[in-house]
Amino acid sequence: MQELINQYFDVGFMADHFDEVLEGFWFTIQLSIVAGVLSLVWGLVLAQLRQLPGRGAAPLRFATIAYIDVFRGIPLLIMILLISGSVPLLDFLPEWLRIPQWFGKPDNFWFGVFAITITYGAYMAEVYRSGIESVPQGQMEAARSLGMNHRQAMRYVIVPQAVRKVFAPLLNDFIALMKDTTLVSAIALSEVALVGRDLQSQFLNSSGLILGAIMFLVVTLPLARLVDKLIAREQGRFTRGAPRMEAL
Amino acid sequence: MESYGNGGSVMVGLRGVCKRFGKLEVLRGVDLEIKKGEVVCVLGPSGSGKSTLLRCVNLLEPPEEGDIHLEGRSICKGPGSGTGEQSWELDFVRQRVGIVFQQFNLFPHKSALENVTLAQEKVLGRSAAEARKKGAELLERVGLGDKLDEYPERLSGGQQQRVAIARALAMDPHVMLFDEVTSALDPELVKEVLDVMRELAEEGMTMMVVTHEIGFAREVADRVIFMDGGVIVEEGPPAQVLESPREERTKQFLGLVLER
Repeated sequence: MQELINQYFDVGFMADHFDEVLEGFWFTIQLSIVAGVLSLVWGLVLAQLRQLPGRGAAPLRFATIAYIDVFRGIPLLIMILLISGSVPLLDFLPEWLRIPQWFGKPDNFWFGVFAITITYGAYMAEVYRSGIESVPQGQMEAARSLGMNHRQAMRYVIVPQAVRKVFAPLLNDFIALMKDTTLVSAIALSEVALVGRDLQSQFLNSSGLILGAIMFLVVTLPLARLVDKLIAREQGRFTRGAPRMEAL
Repeated sequence: MESYGNGGSVMVGLRGVCKRFGKLEVLRGVDLEIKKGEVVCVLGPSGSGKSTLLRCVNLLEPPEEGDIHLEGRSICKGPGSGTGEQSWELDFVRQRVGIVFQQFNLFPHKSALENVTLAQEKVLGRSAAEARKKGAELLERVGLGDKLDEYPERLSGGQQQRVAIARALAMDPHVMLFDEVTSALDPELVKEVLDVMRELAEEGMTMMVVTHEIGFAREVADRVIFMDGGVIVEEGPPAQVLESPREERTKQFLGLVLER
């Protein structure tokens, strides 16, 4: 028993290496926020491309659906390796893209961001789509009848309602995204998992990883509770009788 | 263009309008003219095509065959229209024709006033102050001057429907379409909506009203149309169609409705 505690929950070890682990976790947070925001935006763009009306937009719709299907089906780790391992070697790309160093972050940070955004954008596009499709058809008809074009109707009427409905599932995806940022440790980015693993191999002790896991929980647990609250509120709205259809 | 341009007295003209949903023929050749300032009530059993006819006029359901004219201009591109793409016809129609729906279709994330101002600003390019002034006036006119900042879920069905009417009127339409606007309302809320429509008719608005309210049709309509099976079975002044219908089908329908 004591062995188990020493191996995983060595408080002294955690205290000694707290700063290193926290630094790794801070990196994780930055990665999560940048990739999370970009995924949210990219997902919304994809969802709207997928819903474009008209025959002229058919190729774009088709390409978007193909994109979403493909990148939802490819493991994030493979995406990370594909990007970080080869983009720097693509000579036809400008250097600022081949070896991005924006905002003082190393290129591997940005490769991680790209890979996560490409993958999670596809996931989030599907979440947005479910939200868009849950807005009653009559909303689009009303907006179009008032003279709005498709773009205006989406922007002012459909998307604001859709986003409200899918806020909770989007937040869920964000929690998953945050946890998946640990996969960028594969490209030697010193985020929390890699820091923990280095400590593990150096001292043959997993308490550093446990400390990292605890830091995750400190952030993800409140987010998960928030998701529950939002879902409850959304359902509350519904049962309060949002659609007042007297005679039906 | 032909005969429709004459003096501008014909507001809406339909000729041989056909509409199918898959194999179902909903409209089978409808001819109809509505003059400026005229109030036309369309009656008929469910599935007779009356709502589809109304929705054809503002191209929510573009017809497959036939022609629709609005203020002298053809608004049908013929087969293949209605793919959702923007066109001058669509802009032309939507700027002149307002519609009110059975289910209100208010924007639930906007207050009553915002419902009325949104399209004014985004489509007509009015300033926020201008749109607000017009919106407040219209809501006042439909008796909701004290509900400007309420959200739809806090309004009764009758109030919501009156907001919807104000929202359509805010775009200064030349024609108003009403698609069974009282069918989803509790009986005691029907009157407040019909009163607004009656006033609108008295002010000379050109109106096409799909309804089951025989009393409203008798009182307000200049002309009543009875539809069944995708065609116009009978039309004429309300007194004639409602009191002494010629067609057997009309008699039967009115008998059933008035029995209620």
